[in-house]
Amino acid sequence: MITMKDTNKKCGSIRGWLYKAISSRINFEADWIQNHISNCPKCQRRIASMGKVNLALSLIKSQPHSLDLLMRANAQAIKMLKHSLRDCPSAEKLKTILPEPGLFERCAKYRNPITNTAACFAILFLMKAYVFSSMSSCRDQGQKTLKHYYATQAGQDIADEIFPT
Amino acid sequence: MLDKALSCELVWDIALAECRDRTQRWVLSAMQRHGPELVTMLWRILGNEQDVCDAYQDTFLRLAHYQGGQKPEHVKAYIFRSAGNTAISMLRRRIIERKNLVEVSVGRDAASPVNQLDSKYLQETLRCNIARLPEHLRAVVTLHDLAELAYEQVGRILGISEATARVYRCKAIQLLAVWMNKEKEERL
Repeated sequence: MITMKDTNKKCGSIRGWLYKAISSRINFEADWIQNHISNCPKCQRRIASMGKVNLALSLIKSQPHSLDLLMRANAQAIKMLKHSLRDCPSAEKLKTILPEPGLFERCAKYRNPITNTAACFAILFLMKAYVFSSMSSCRDQGQKTLKHYYATQAGQDIADEIFPT
Repeated sequence: MLDKALSCELVWDIALAECRDRTQRWVLSAMQRHGPELVTMLWRILGNEQDVCDAYQDTFLRLAHYQGGQKPEHVKAYIFRSAGNTAISMLRRRIIERKNLVEVSVGRDAASPVNQLDSKYLQETLRCNIARLPEHLRAVVTLHDLAELAYEQVGRILGISEATARVYRCKAIQLLAVWMNKEKEERL
């Protein structure tokens, strides 16, 4: 028996699948979309107003708060909690806490050197692989030529003896 | 016999109180764990430091008194939803107060083209419009755009799928765009 929950789950997964399928096929930068937008005032207005919303969101996000806001908010909230919590050592710590950047932000300054080093290693690896493969093919070619020379000059038997395959 | 029963009850009460005290430490650990994200979200919704502190206090007070001091099943979800709702209520109150006080002067100022591009004006307009959004759309915008949580987390907090969260966000942005455009046209 199919329940409502099952149907909703299936519907949700189909929606997710459709979204993925469509978003991978329709690109906003596609020529036919850009051509349409350049000739359609309604779409232009819509995109402009969406751009305005995105701009406003970016402005809100870029507005920094003072560094001690977390500390003050914690202190104000802890003040209203019960005594046993207020007197906790962790509560004291929270009252003086400052916002710390996440691991990703902390590592952001090392991003370029890490990328450069990784690129250098990749190039070295590729070069090494290329050099070894070239040397190996060069050796094979040399062996073939010598074998051919011995085969024509001294006979196939001797050539096979000297250069066994 | 009665004495023994009374002492047993007392011991039980103390043990229960101690247990509750100990379990209430999760309020502080929740504060430590989610505090920075929560403050950022509240700051972005409210844009006023004192209001942020008030909403933050209100959120943790609610958390501490949730069902007689019990720990909610999903603390993060509870905190973020509660904080978002508190902040929106405060924002709505502030909008009404401001409207009553300076309606005429704001209307006149906003009509100027300089204000249309003014960052503060844009931010305030967006905040007002976010407060007007239907609850399900507003929750997604506040959690995804203002608290910068991933769609997956937003879905988990709101009890919806990731795809639904994306759809709600898209609808919310469309609605906000229409309202912001309409407001601009009305004022011009």
